[in-house]
Amino acid sequence: MMIEYKNVSKKYQDHEILKDVSFTVKKGDIFVLVGPSGSGKTTLLKMFNRLIEPTKGKIFLNDKSIKEYNLRKLREKTGYVLQTASLFPNLTVGENITIVLEQEGVSRKERRQKQEQLLKSVDLDPKLYCDRLPNELSGGEQQRVGIVRSLAADPEVILMDEPFSALDPVVRKQLQDLLMNLHEQFNKTVMFVTHDMQEAIRLGNTIGVLHDGVLEQVGKPREILRHPATKFVQQFFTGNRINQKLDLETLLKSELGVDPRFYPKVDTLVRYHVDSVEDLIKDCSNHPDALFIAETEFGNFLIEPKRVWNFFLKWVAGHD
Amino acid sequence: MIKSLWQMLLTEHDQIWATTLVHIKISLIALLIAMVIAIPLAFILKGHKKAAEFTLQVAGIIQTIPSLAVLGLLLPFVGIGTVPAIIALVLYAIMPIFQNTYSGLTEIPENLEEAATAFGLTKWKKLQRLEIPLAMPMVFAGIRIALVMIIGTATLAALIGGGGLGTYIYVGINSNNNTEILMGAILSALLALVFSGILKFISKNNKRLKWGSAVIALCLLIWGGSSLYSHFTTSSTNVAEPKQTITIAGKMGSEPAILINMYKELIEKNDPNTKVVLKPNFGGTTFLFKALQTDKIDIYPEFTGTVLQTLVKTGKKTGNDPNQVYAEARSDLKSQFDMEYLKPMTYQNGYALATTQKFAKDNHLTKMSDLNRVNKKVHAAFDPDFTSLKDGYPGLKDVYKLDFASIKSTESSIRYHAIANNQANVVDGYTTDAEIKKYNLVMLDDDKKFFPPYQGAPLMRAKFAERNPQIVKALNKLAGKITTQEMQAMNYQVNVEHEKPAKVAHEYLVKHGLI
Repeated sequence: MMIEYKNVSKKYQDHEILKDVSFTVKKGDIFVLVGPSGSGKTTLLKMFNRLIEPTKGKIFLNDKSIKEYNLRKLREKTGYVLQTASLFPNLTVGENITIVLEQEGVSRKERRQKQEQLLKSVDLDPKLYCDRLPNELSGGEQQRVGIVRSLAADPEVILMDEPFSALDPVVRKQLQDLLMNLHEQFNKTVMFVTHDMQEAIRLGNTIGVLHDGVLEQVGKPREILRHPATKFVQQFFTGNRINQKLDLETLLKSELGVDPRFYPKVDTLVRYHVDSVEDLIKDCSNHPDALFIAETEFGNFLIEPKRVWNFFLKWVAGHD
Repeated sequence: MIKSLWQMLLTEHDQIWATTLVHIKISLIALLIAMVIAIPLAFILKGHKKAAEFTLQVAGIIQTIPSLAVLGLLLPFVGIGTVPAIIALVLYAIMPIFQNTYSGLTEIPENLEEAATAFGLTKWKKLQRLEIPLAMPMVFAGIRIALVMIIGTATLAALIGGGGLGTYIYVGINSNNNTEILMGAILSALLALVFSGILKFISKNNKRLKWGSAVIALCLLIWGGSSLYSHFTTSSTNVAEPKQTITIAGKMGSEPAILINMYKELIEKNDPNTKVVLKPNFGGTTFLFKALQTDKIDIYPEFTGTVLQTLVKTGKKTGNDPNQVYAEARSDLKSQFDMEYLKPMTYQNGYALATTQKFAKDNHLTKMSDLNRVNKKVHAAFDPDFTSLKDGYPGLKDVYKLDFASIKSTESSIRYHAIANNQANVVDGYTTDAEIKKYNLVMLDDDKKFFPPYQGAPLMRAKFAERNPQIVKALNKLAGKITTQEMQAMNYQVNVEHEKPAKVAHEYLVKHGLI
């Protein structure tokens, strides 16, 4: 067990925006808090690095109340990604990434190494990007920097507050891929807030559904889709369900395909030519446990068969 | 006009340069102090909205008090000179700097502040890496606004002996010299433009900001260092030569400047161990009198009429006999302020009526009682005060039975132009005005002694006079000297021919065998 929220409530004057919320997050998980706007999910997230204090209840990190940690140390060791990249406009990309290390007194040379290593990990050429100012970068690029900034101080936990919601769908998809890839590489515990249930299903190992300050259900994506605990959960997920026709290009670009550039060992993988959704399903059943590359007329995609199965299961569930 | 400005630049460039430097010095010192107060205050109050708004309100109220009033209010507490001028300027400059710094800080996007907090950045780190750099452009804009305002307002310093370019403006107004007014106004406007330009240039980008701030800091350091150095070196030479240094000040204009130069020469010739420092164009009557009371200056020339009308408390109406007026002024000054008023010179610098040679000749005018014969032919141009005050035309009218055809009330600086351009044939003025000679006017004799006598004489504290009998003796050489015509001629030399007051004073003393 890594993070535990125990009977957490929050009241603003008479308005109770969080009601007795309890959950735990396992080490190395991506825990997604999903819910409509105003459900209290961001408040819940900001309680972890104590930007907001709960009215009642306690939060534990590794069985020790977060109040017992030195506040500065707690925050330095908790990565934080905001909705907008929120890079300091007066600092270069590199300086932004290692601002916390700078405060900790890490030498300039080590910081530079860290900047380059992290920029590479999000597919940004350090030579091109390290000394630029944030406003010279696109929104997607800025958010990549925002993400690696949260990794710089080697935190145990990373908090992400709707980090991709301001981006356009294509870039959002890229960054989701990137996040999953980073998660594989660094294996950090992530708490992720979103109002987009597709994003929740795509990224989450565990999902917590929040509505009006009440945690309605916590579970694996599949469990939540198959057995929604409340009427709200059911409506929220079916209401958001993609009712579109299964078109291969949209599917690969928005849901199932991963850009192979983010994967280190593409050359060793099997490659299939894929022309239709049926082809894809066939290839997945032939290779249920191994990654492969799908070559299509609109580009190559890295396919993870497990995810394809998950998707179709949810899709079928949504069409019950 | 351009030609006369150029002429003035050529002949007086040393003094103009020095005056400009004083102006810059006052402005920059005030600016620095205001920055040191306002910027940290804004940082402290950043998180306290109510306190910040209250401060803004207070600063705004201070802003609306007329600067002249601030100077007047400060007078009893800090006296005269550069100090009250700087205090007043600082008060004015705080508002724009504080306001801009505060809004620069509060306009930092919420999400950046939140990010900085969430990363565990310390307050200092936040300031250094986020808040100061982001607020900088706004802070600089505030400093620019403040600087332009200070440079403009600093002209008021001249009123209270602070010096600076305002001296030209006030001297110009007092002596009807548009060239001097323009010189002061143009130079202070130019200064404002140049400094605002420099700040704008520097604040364009970060690199310039860094280098510019470094260069400015270096310049200030060198300036401060060198003035400290010269301060110490001069004070050490003072110690080496056991000299007494006394300070003599004068009011605005050429006449006091000539007089105090005479005082200086008389005193220094008489006793080589005494060094006299002159402060010409030091300010108005009350400022000088306060300065004398508070030991800031040792001597200044004052008029007998002025003493009775504004300085001492007297129950009586000012008389008409010069000797009686002097005696009364002297005894009142002694009893009320413990001051010594030395014997006056001959000339009188009081109100007078003047007319053109032609008008005087055609109508046989020599004295003011002649005027009631030609009442219907007189078209007068008077200064507004003279037109309305009881000791001006309204009083004069009754005594001399006057009833002029028309009276134009015009600014004092243009009434001489009116008579020169034949728009008027009688004007008011002071008996020693250079314009009387310049336009070849005839002064009409005040034969019924309506105007109170204004005779000039050195004023000092009684204790000072007791301690320095040799100075009193030296100054008394001027008693009964200098006629009205002589004073007029000397004013003409300084105001119209742009001779140096020191030179004019020296020539007079030599010519009359006083040194």
